[in-house]
Amino acid sequence: MQEEKILSDEEMEILQEIMNISFGKSAADLADVIDAHVVLSVPFIKIMQVPELPTYFQDHVKEYKTISIVEQKFWGRFKGDALLVFSSGAGRELIEMLQHEARPGFESDPIDILERETLMEVGNILIGACVGKLAELLKDVVTYTPPMVVVERDYSNAITENRYDPNNTAIVLKTDFCFDEGNVSGFLFLITSADSVTWMKEALRLFIEQYE
Amino acid sequence: MIKKVLIVDDSPIARKMLKSCLPKDQGYEFFEAGDGREGFEKYKVLTPDVTFMDLTMPVMTGYEAIEAIINHDKNAVIIVVTADVQMKAIKRVMELGAYMVLKKPLKREDIQSALLKVKDTLQKV
Repeated sequence: MQEEKILSDEEMEILQEIMNISFGKSAADLADVIDAHVVLSVPFIKIMQVPELPTYFQDHVKEYKTISIVEQKFWGRFKGDALLVFSSGAGRELIEMLQHEARPGFESDPIDILERETLMEVGNILIGACVGKLAELLKDVVTYTPPMVVVERDYSNAITENRYDPNNTAIVLKTDFCFDEGNVSGFLFLITSADSVTWMKEALRLFIEQYE
Repeated sequence: MIKKVLIVDDSPIARKMLKSCLPKDQGYEFFEAGDGREGFEKYKVLTPDVTFMDLTMPVMTGYEAIEAIINHDKNAVIIVVTADVQMKAIKRVMELGAYMVLKKPLKREDIQSALLKVKDTLQKV
């Protein structure tokens, strides 16, 4: 019901295609620095009330049990929050993929700085390239906060903080991904407020106008 | 000569965008499919001169559809139109038998030069 009020079916489809192009760009950027192919999936757009967000996230990531999150806020005309959620153990796997070799005694290491930095770096590439491309296609420019990382936390309490205005409506752009090697998968959620919907509608119209 | 063009993409808006980039004055007949399986089924019936193929699709991916089409018709001209521009993706589709890869978002000039190349290839066959 809410979806129909905020964006039309066609606007949702355009946004979905733009997300598809944008995440494809970020996957290619990541593949340049990591020796793996990022397997993409069809992105999904959902519009919901902010209090529904934690349950929505948890439903998607519950199979991971513990998760790591890289979060970056971005703002321009297009503004919001990017949450990159990785499956359990992703940090260690990514270190190996970046270094192309396992670290001796790594299995017994506690969560360490290298793992946090690796997640931050990978998150920065995926989020920055995706949000940047999305903004570029909508003729916008965005700036970002530095990435924040939460490592290996139980999924049920990782995304429960009351971080968004509960009276607001959120447009959630979701894509899931995995790597063809290793055991890393995850989700990228972009949460943007319905406050910018007037601008977004116009930006989507201008985007598709090039193809009419 | 190109007469029949098949566009395979799960996104209706992506199909519309692609179609808008194709020349209107060439008398092309357009056909569309919303996933790889439907694309393969339509290919078998229509035998299009050119097939534009997305990669990330439900039901049957573009990779699987290319493989199925090439197994059915080794001379099929499949132009991959994708947002997945990773080197490994491009290498894999070319190994499967794709004719070329075009990157989304599409530009009219890219499509038109691709079609000129296809025409040239078809004339030589």
